[in-house]
Amino acid sequence: MLKEYWRFRGSLVPGLLASSFLLTLAFLLFLTLYSATSSGESIFQTLDARIITLLKFTLFQATLSTVLSVLFGTFLAWSLAHQSRFFARSFLIALFSSSLVLPTIIVVFGLITILGKNGWLNHLSNYLFGYSFEGFLYGLSGILIAHVYLNASFAARALLHSFESIPKERYKLAKSLNFSTFKRFKIIEFPAIKSTLLGISSTIFLLCFTSFAIVLILGGNPSYNTLEVAIYEAVKLDFDISMALELAFIQLSISIILVLVSSTLKTGVSNIKTQSLFIPWREPFYVGILQKVAIFLFGLFFILPLIAIISDGLNSDFIKIFSSSVFIKSFSTSIYIASISSVITVLFTILLASSKRNFALNYRLRKSFAGKFIAILISFSGMLYLAIPSLVLGLGFFLLSQRFTAPLVFWATFALLSANILMSLPFSLSVLYPSMLKTAKRYDKLCFSLGISGYKRWIYCEWPYLKESIGYILALSFCLSLGDLGVISLFGSQDFSTLPWYLYGLMGSYKNSDAAGVALVLLVLVLSIFILVPKLFSKGSVVKDR
Amino acid sequence: MKILLAVILFLGSLTAKETLTIYTYDSFAASWGPAPLIKKAFEKKYNCNLKFVATDSAIGSLRKVQIEGKNTKADIVLGLDTNTAELARKTGLFAKQHTDTSRLSLPIKWNDENFVPFDYSYFAFVYDSNKTKNPPTSFDELANMPKNFKIIIEDPRSSTPGLGLLLWVKYIYKDKAGAYWKKLAPHILTITKGWSEAYNLFLKGEADMVLSYTTSPAYHIIEEKKYQYKTANFKAGHYAGIEIAGMLKSSKHKALAQKFLNFMLSDEFANIIPTTNWSYPVIKTKKGLPKAFSTLYVPKKMILIDGKTVEKNRKAYINEWLKAISK
Repeated sequence: MLKEYWRFRGSLVPGLLASSFLLTLAFLLFLTLYSATSSGESIFQTLDARIITLLKFTLFQATLSTVLSVLFGTFLAWSLAHQSRFFARSFLIALFSSSLVLPTIIVVFGLITILGKNGWLNHLSNYLFGYSFEGFLYGLSGILIAHVYLNASFAARALLHSFESIPKERYKLAKSLNFSTFKRFKIIEFPAIKSTLLGISSTIFLLCFTSFAIVLILGGNPSYNTLEVAIYEAVKLDFDISMALELAFIQLSISIILVLVSSTLKTGVSNIKTQSLFIPWREPFYVGILQKVAIFLFGLFFILPLIAIISDGLNSDFIKIFSSSVFIKSFSTSIYIASISSVITVLFTILLASSKRNFALNYRLRKSFAGKFIAILISFSGMLYLAIPSLVLGLGFFLLSQRFTAPLVFWATFALLSANILMSLPFSLSVLYPSMLKTAKRYDKLCFSLGISGYKRWIYCEWPYLKESIGYILALSFCLSLGDLGVISLFGSQDFSTLPWYLYGLMGSYKNSDAAGVALVLLVLVLSIFILVPKLFSKGSVVKDR
Repeated sequence: MKILLAVILFLGSLTAKETLTIYTYDSFAASWGPAPLIKKAFEKKYNCNLKFVATDSAIGSLRKVQIEGKNTKADIVLGLDTNTAELARKTGLFAKQHTDTSRLSLPIKWNDENFVPFDYSYFAFVYDSNKTKNPPTSFDELANMPKNFKIIIEDPRSSTPGLGLLLWVKYIYKDKAGAYWKKLAPHILTITKGWSEAYNLFLKGEADMVLSYTTSPAYHIIEEKKYQYKTANFKAGHYAGIEIAGMLKSSKHKALAQKFLNFMLSDEFANIIPTTNWSYPVIKTKKGLPKAFSTLYVPKKMILIDGKTVEKNRKAYINEWLKAISK
């Protein structure tokens, strides 16, 4: 038995080390939080009306956001699948896939420019009808709009792939049976997208449940707080650590339950390009119109805020922005934190995935003793972030910084790196793992019989097939890190700041033209890295079948 | 190479002047606030460097010191008020002050062992008289204004004006304060972290009134020659905001910090305050107040709840408020 494990030690040991490192980190964090609640009192003794209100609102907005995002996402994916000749279709799809890495603060900024009280829409309505509406963006509606913006496009991107993977023969059969559009969806399409639908619903729910930046800015006031924002306020406004801990434990218990429930589901992230194969079905006239209108409207809704950022940003005084020392500091901090965390993320992903695949293959260790258990452990260590929201993580590091004297910058850097790595892992694993499983299936027999192992196997067999995915997860984690406004909110100051945090400060003090410039810098940075880095890696890639 | 660098740094530190670091709220540290003038005067007088670090609110600067713990660079926290003095004292971070306060001319007697006052004013709602013809003259009238009459207030957890308003309402409505907030809630456009954010939003025309000070109109009269900004004067009286500063136990420049606290009670400092922080100085100076100040409303009755009572009940008051305005 052990002999088999010994055979795969090369991939097992580093992966298990990485996995146990992550789990230890989580455990230490939990311990820090737990020991801070000392004095033997029950944590939940003050489970007062305020906390119940918070919890209710957090769950309510997350549920509503998920339902709306999935509804819009499904409708959009369905429309895109059937309108394979829609103008600018591939451009739109590429744009929707970038929604995962768009910094939330930028989205919020763009939405305010369009839909705010002084936004484009209100000016247009005033000009056309002489009517201007009250501000509706601050509060529940704003939170929902921002969540739908980010998550419906993300859902659509994932679901489109499911739609397009439906065997064309089924469509032909259904057509010969004269199915109506509704019946076609019910009998053929829905069963095919069901599992993806479940997976992304749970991911979206988790993302909305722990949503921070959007609620922080668009929540506007204490009436619309989520648990995450309440944790932030407990630390930053009240310096009430025991309250923050209480909230953190509630948050932690709920999200761990959610992650455990959904750990078997997929996150819905992949870098698989869609084939846009022609679905052999001519849509009825009105259905076709409906689909086109849906794509057009959602596309407009998605693109306008980005255009607003570009047009406002171009008007700002870049010489003034670039010569600000706080900007330069924030910029360089953002870049070096993103660089370090994305490289470590890639490394951890490779280690975890290469260790995990041992337990998925029969001729490797799948049937081994405890194989299943180890596989789950590895998956869980990769999913940790979804269980530990960034503010809870930040709170843990914050308590450490209070206990062990070191410059705050040291703890802040460490907290930011950990948070960013944990944040990217679930997504990068779900991209890289399937590819690594494929190369194992394809080359294991050859490699084992020829005795190719270690770095040689890596150079000849793995790298050529994986480099495109690796480039993608490198860019993905770099951008996620670049745009994050979570942990930094606890540690940010004049001396230690990142681009999103700097932008948040500018928005808070209504320096709108500077804010627009910084938002544009961030947007250009994120989009260009997300598009260019994977291109660099895909040069000469042998993967042709996608 | 490294040694050379170290030597240069060491020599540099020998010749460098002592630096005093003050954490304060943003509008105090702003380029148009008191900070630049005070910096110039103080640096000249004591041959040192004075550095202001801005946070979005006064309580925010106290929290920043708490978050940074023993490593904080702050020597002085400036901008809290009498309502938050006890909260600050409870942290145990503040040192005793030895300032001669005999020159003080305040509406109340001063005997605080940690803090020194540097300006004061009364909280009040500011409105644009070109847009609002009939401003409310009491809290009741405010809550009964037409539905689309919107106000901006500050968060009592982070901002001293915000807390001031909370206490003002509490003083007037006692145990019916919660019910009053519920009634007022539909008129609240938004709740900001600090005063500047609120005032900026008001000037942009987002709301009809903003919680500020009775002395705020002086800014528009003196700086902009605009006379339409006025305060809504409440017959039942206005709550006072007396702003204070204190030095930290962890400060490595205590002597210089004490000199700054003394400096706050000088003519030089007191003459800067009215036209930069737009409030009353705490001592009478030879130069006196600018003429525009004589046009300002001075409340018939000053309200101020004792600091210890405030701190004892602050959490409960805030929870009552949170509950009332939560939807």
